[in-house]
Amino acid sequence: MNDERKDGSAVATDGAREYLTFTLGDEEYGIDILKVQEIRGYDAVTKIANSPAFIKGVINMRGVIVPIIDMRLKFNLGQVEYNEFTVVIILNIDSRIVGLVVDGVSDVIALAGDRIRPAPEFGALLDTAYIDGLATLDDRMIIMVDIARLMTSQEMGLVEQVHEAVA
Amino acid sequence: MTIDMSQFYQVFFEEAGENLATMEGLLLELDVDAPDLETLNAIFRAAHSMKGGAGTFGFNDMARVTHVLETLLDRLRKQELAPTVEMVDAFLQAGDVLKSQLAAHQEGTEYEAPRVAEVCAHLEVLASLDDTSGEGLASPVRDTGVRESLEGGGWRIEFRPADIGRRDGLELQGLFDALGELGTIEGTVPSDLDGAREMDVCVWRLFGDVGRGAVEEIFAFICEPNQVSLAAIQPDESSLSAEPDESDDDGYGFFMGAPGSEFALDQELDGFGLFGGSPGMDQVVELANQDRLDRDLGYGFFDASPGFPEPNGEARRESPAQTVAAQPKRSVDAGGSRATAAPKRAIAADTSIRVSVEKVDQLINLVGELVITHAMLAESATVLDPALHERIFGGLSNLERNSRDLQQAVMSIRMMPISFVFNRFPRVVRDTAASLGKKVLLRLVGEDTELDKGLIERMADPLNHLVRNSIDHGIEQPEARRAAGKPEQGEITLRASHRGGSVVVEVSDDGAGLNREKLLAKAAKQGIPMPDNPSDKEVWALIFHAGFSTAERVTDISGRGVGMDVVRRNIEDMNGRVEIESSPGRGTHITIRLPLTLAILDGLSVRMGEEIFILPLTVIQESIQPKPEQFKSVVGKGRVALVNGEYLPMVSLRDVFNSGGPETRPEDGILVIVDTNEGRAAVLVDELVAQHQVVIKSLETNYRKVDGVSGATIMGDGRVALILDVDALVRLNRRATRGSVRPIQFSVTGDPNDE
Repeated sequence: MNDERKDGSAVATDGAREYLTFTLGDEEYGIDILKVQEIRGYDAVTKIANSPAFIKGVINMRGVIVPIIDMRLKFNLGQVEYNEFTVVIILNIDSRIVGLVVDGVSDVIALAGDRIRPAPEFGALLDTAYIDGLATLDDRMIIMVDIARLMTSQEMGLVEQVHEAVA
Repeated sequence: MTIDMSQFYQVFFEEAGENLATMEGLLLELDVDAPDLETLNAIFRAAHSMKGGAGTFGFNDMARVTHVLETLLDRLRKQELAPTVEMVDAFLQAGDVLKSQLAAHQEGTEYEAPRVAEVCAHLEVLASLDDTSGEGLASPVRDTGVRESLEGGGWRIEFRPADIGRRDGLELQGLFDALGELGTIEGTVPSDLDGAREMDVCVWRLFGDVGRGAVEEIFAFICEPNQVSLAAIQPDESSLSAEPDESDDDGYGFFMGAPGSEFALDQELDGFGLFGGSPGMDQVVELANQDRLDRDLGYGFFDASPGFPEPNGEARRESPAQTVAAQPKRSVDAGGSRATAAPKRAIAADTSIRVSVEKVDQLINLVGELVITHAMLAESATVLDPALHERIFGGLSNLERNSRDLQQAVMSIRMMPISFVFNRFPRVVRDTAASLGKKVLLRLVGEDTELDKGLIERMADPLNHLVRNSIDHGIEQPEARRAAGKPEQGEITLRASHRGGSVVVEVSDDGAGLNREKLLAKAAKQGIPMPDNPSDKEVWALIFHAGFSTAERVTDISGRGVGMDVVRRNIEDMNGRVEIESSPGRGTHITIRLPLTLAILDGLSVRMGEEIFILPLTVIQESIQPKPEQFKSVVGKGRVALVNGEYLPMVSLRDVFNSGGPETRPEDGILVIVDTNEGRAAVLVDELVAQHQVVIKSLETNYRKVDGVSGATIMGDGRVALILDVDALVRLNRRATRGSVRPIQFSVTGDPNDE
């Protein structure tokens, strides 16, 4: 999967790639569908002590302990409500399994690479390193997220960082 | 024509490793003054197997060393030379060299050190010493390279070059060479086409430890199997053309003629235990059995009937003398190179399979899931009426029993006897004691105690430290011991046993014991805070402090002050505990308590607010229902609990984990007294729920390490419960009371789990 990411531009210009889109508050996001393992409902979580608020805790997914991240809390978006429509997207990134809580999954779309425009700089407001670009689909703007990079980033604290191991 | 051998490398590495370990163990067992022939034979076989393997796989450096080793061993086991301590040392060194070579090959490099040549030269010198028999058999090592594989028989290969379309002399030469790679080949290659046509049948003899399959494989590339006739050459037939062997009689003929040997051959292989009582008998039987076994394993086609060896003996006597026969013969063992070191072992090897640990772990995981699934089912079934749904309940209880049995059976796959670690210690003790000029006897007790393979591997280092420490610091010099009225030879005991659900490994010595005053003085010097009147236990625990060493001088064995703290950390990483008892002049006794396995933990589930946590049973000392007056505070903040006259730091899970929720009165909860590496502590929880065996899951697989938590498990209801790490909890608690802990970070808005 990583390899695809590296030469992603070449692949994207040749043919369309598929993305899973989901909503967070009023915004719509798209992620590489190949990173998605499954989609499930929100279950009770076991909280993890002293972890950032957006890490809801861990769940048991068929014997595997999976951390659950609420993207709405992470991006400070919308109402954080848990109901029967709350959806968890289970991602498999470099064989690490992570669950994302989102407001809802909307669609699977195919997008050619040239339809993804680079996102404008937002300055210090937002780290655009995790945003691949913006795409337009039926007048909707979809924010394309480099989910693998985001999830392994230091900011998320999901992966033990080297400097932390030293400290 | 070469066959790609690399796929078999791993097998060779494992086997060679085992052989090296066997050899070392036997060498240490060997009593130089009264060498046991069987032990010598076993050592020889180990070396021989390694040589065979190394040669086959093209690890020529190893083959060279084993070869020299084997030469000397062979003379020893034929009693041409008497073993000396020097030889044993040389063997051990050669073993070390081989280990390094093996390790290098495993990494795909080659071990090169002047040591190799030194060790080989030393062995050669030892091997060429005057022998007792005076037969002048002193083996010139250079010759043996060619001849070595001649013993033990081989194959008579007959084929018609015309049949298989190999008429070209060059091609035949290629075939000849390919076979030559397997062993020593004799025969002629027809040099020209015409000659080949005339010579209808081509007969080659291939000597050495070669399986039929290997020969067939080579021919398989060029012709149909039925076009080649392969006939086995029996060991002695080979000597017809190869070597005379007077020396052989002492090994071979000797036991055939011995009284009872026929009986011995009729016995099943495990039968020789019966002969334990009769002097000399077991040797005979053992040899006979071994001979038979070796042949069975090596060729599988030998007639093992008791009468069989006799014609061989005759054949041998008739055999013409041969000048090349410098190498003492080993016909008995030739076939045995495929077998593992000892006859008994070989049988075990036949009935066991090598499975990668990954597969076993996967199995353990799956069984863990099964147990959890059962627990979930059982919980759902509690709402049913037992009278109405009798069959469901019956089925559930069956399922429970079966899955528990299955779990146990699967866990037992990972279990290995602790002798795997213990076996290295005779060597460690021997070397360490020798370098310090001390006399130490090592006693091993309970080597059969089984524990998880993962634990066994991780036990090696800590135990090594402890044993070396005991020799260095514990056992006194012989003079000092005599002065103290103790035998000159110190004693170190390694004992393993099962106690309750855990494994206890003890290291005890009868040395000087720990010196309380010295430890305290050292503690004061290093600024380690100690209570005014410390208990012995507290004083002994000092040696686990990082950088704490009481050795007056730093030796290469111990005294650098790293070590004991590492020992302790290693053991705690395995969810184990270390305890020290010591009395001056009487010795020190270190007890290590370990869980049976890394995969399952005996734990107590406790409730704190909405969350369930697991406390490992090994750390729990007691739990009490506290009274309000037991709670005190220090400078308004740090809370302590008065338990049995002792003030223990109190750890509230709620504070440490910032888990929020309504504050409850401490006296409504339960105090669990736990043993941490900083002494005892009281953990305040809301409720004790139940005792479980839990399957340990790592949080780090998909998340990261969490402070205060050593892992997670899945409860019967499918929820995740965190397993607490009390040592880290106490640390966290201290930070929390200092107020340096991060502010509450749990968001509780709208989370149904918070309600």
